[in-house]
Amino acid sequence: MEAGTLVILIGSVLVLASILTSLLSSRIGAPLLLTFLGLGMLAGEAGPGGIRFDDAPLAILIGNCALVIILFDGGLRMDKATLRAAWAPALALSTLGVLVTAGVVAAAVHWALGKDWQSALLLGAIVAATDAAAVFVLAGRSGITLRDRLRATLEMESGSNDPMGIFLTIACVGLIGHEHQTPGWGLVVDFVWQMGLGGAVGLAGGAALVGLVNRMEMSAGLYPILAVAAALFTFSGTQLLGASGWLAVYLMGMVVGNRRVRAGRLVGRFFDGMAWLSQIVLFLMLGLLVAPQQLLDEWPTAVAVAGALILLARPAAVALCLSPFGFSWREQAFAAWVGLRGAVPIFLALFPLLAGIDNARSYFNIAFVVVIVSLAIQGWSLPWMARWLGVALSPRPEEADKVDLDAMRNLDRDLIAYTVKPHSRATDFAFAKLALPPRVQILTVLREGTVLKLDELDRLHAGDFVLVLVPPELSLVADRFFSRRFRSTAGQLRREQGDFVVDGATAIDGLAKIYEFPVRPDQHGLTVAAVLAKRLGPAAGRGDRVRFGGVELIVVDMIGAEIKHIGIALDGPPPSRLQTLGRWLGRFRRPARPGR
Amino acid sequence: MDITDLISSDAIIPTLRAPSKKQALQELARKAGELTGIEAREIFDVLLERERLGTTGVGHGIAIPHGKLAKLDRLYGVFARMEHPIDFDSIDDEPVDLLFLLLAPESAGADHLKALARVSRLLRDRTVCTKLRGCESRDAIYALFTDTTASHAA
Repeated sequence: MEAGTLVILIGSVLVLASILTSLLSSRIGAPLLLTFLGLGMLAGEAGPGGIRFDDAPLAILIGNCALVIILFDGGLRMDKATLRAAWAPALALSTLGVLVTAGVVAAAVHWALGKDWQSALLLGAIVAATDAAAVFVLAGRSGITLRDRLRATLEMESGSNDPMGIFLTIACVGLIGHEHQTPGWGLVVDFVWQMGLGGAVGLAGGAALVGLVNRMEMSAGLYPILAVAAALFTFSGTQLLGASGWLAVYLMGMVVGNRRVRAGRLVGRFFDGMAWLSQIVLFLMLGLLVAPQQLLDEWPTAVAVAGALILLARPAAVALCLSPFGFSWREQAFAAWVGLRGAVPIFLALFPLLAGIDNARSYFNIAFVVVIVSLAIQGWSLPWMARWLGVALSPRPEEADKVDLDAMRNLDRDLIAYTVKPHSRATDFAFAKLALPPRVQILTVLREGTVLKLDELDRLHAGDFVLVLVPPELSLVADRFFSRRFRSTAGQLRREQGDFVVDGATAIDGLAKIYEFPVRPDQHGLTVAAVLAKRLGPAAGRGDRVRFGGVELIVVDMIGAEIKHIGIALDGPPPSRLQTLGRWLGRFRRPARPGR
Repeated sequence: MDITDLISSDAIIPTLRAPSKKQALQELARKAGELTGIEAREIFDVLLERERLGTTGVGHGIAIPHGKLAKLDRLYGVFARMEHPIDFDSIDDEPVDLLFLLLAPESAGADHLKALARVSRLLRDRTVCTKLRGCESRDAIYALFTDTTASHAA
């Protein structure tokens, strides 16, 4: 048999096994990425697979390609709303936060384990970046709903801090390589150059790609390939200029994701798949690369690093970066716990290996153990932690059941096919009185396979198939007509939604009278939604709370940027389990009151 | 604050018969009028004004209509158990069978909000609601309120 065929066989079996185990892992709730890593280890030299893979340069090459795809995909998903809500805290976390994390870990390693500063700093830099794995866990799989701004911040941070972590690691490797050099202004200049140029190239590259795709007429299947090639080209070109190709690719994805692009949905779906493949390949490869028997040699150091990272460095960085933005302590505690490490630290630990630094293998082994500890402990406990800290919100109203058809050329409207849900606005109102927003137009209605005449249609039924033309900016509004209404999904109001709910269009003066809070002169005559929107600014999102006198008003439901339903909480946010526990313990100390 | 500070035994209607939300509110207002000596019509108007801002039917068959009246001297509660659940335009579109009316004087301030929060917290408790639904008499309901007052004190 040819050697090549064997490699293909092994590779495909590994990927197939990964996909199949992903089904299993979602059933038992194990962190998905950990199972990929484990599978790689099983196939590796110490496991039953017995495959010997020890080629650091090849691993870096494959890793680079995989990271480019993952980062581009991460940028692609970063929509304007997320960006608007989270850019400031996310930027703080992914710059200052990474620095603080690396610094605190380094200090801990230096003082506690007696390592010299240089290798301590390198170790800190390697483990400083969080992984998009956190997003994987948060995005649906775990079923946790977070306050919009918190979710957006964590999502954006996980993608945007990789370039910073990579920069720091490479800088530290450089410092160790050239013993005589001391860190100084050169490093700062280098940072500005790398991020400045990387950012500029990324934005320009994104705009160029959008222009190219929209101007060129070609077979639809080629558009995603064009995007992949352009991303890899931008990455390598930027790297060769001495700037950060990772940042460039991330920003490029962001530009493409937020512009109207021909075949945009096709590209999005393609990258979704490619990002999965990249994650699988990356983790399998890193699992193959490690020599498990060596991991045991390093475990005391590694556990100390993991402990310092999870218990000291990450909480310190989060507290420093998120407190100025009005995140509550519970949200900060949760954000600290979501600092999952994934492939990036292990991948970064390959760089010392490549540079031929002494003891390079030990960095790799330490990073490996840190990632396993982080994924296993933090990844597994995330849903539980969200409930324990009281940051989990009730699930969103059921999403609309729709298929986005790709926009046609020279058409500024999307073609969307909806299946009408029961208890939707569409079924509750007569067809003639549906009051769809202007420029939203129903083209066809199919009921049980028959096309209905629109002028004879009395009312839409659940299960009807509706083809609608929608301007892109109104797609969220259109969704609401065909999905379940907020009211019919609400059930009893959950504590974090407040005691009562009013419509956003309610006048603030009416509420102020009943719930006795002062209204500023400039707020008289406004709706509650308008007052809240003013107070919260463009970053307003579900779960945000603002105190008015003795009550708190809560954003319970939004359509796009518009606040639709507002909760009134009479006695503050619900206690977290931690506080409940404290209160419960407090009972034993409290002397019995007479007369009870 | 205890529930029994808000409600007396004669403010409990163990089986209220009313076909609609409007009539149920009218019955509650009538009862409150008897207790407070204020025109039932006036109370009803206040309740209606609050309902216009948004329903006080908070889901799972529970409604907590409330409002403020200048002439009151203290907080007043009225509790009613519907004989047949009625459509109350609730948040979950489910019919309502347990109603707790709370009226507060114009300048009750924190007391009003605290009392409302207390009622809301009590009726969030599913076991309490199940028990209330099983109570046939005024005395049984009042006993339950006294009971929960002791166990829910926070």
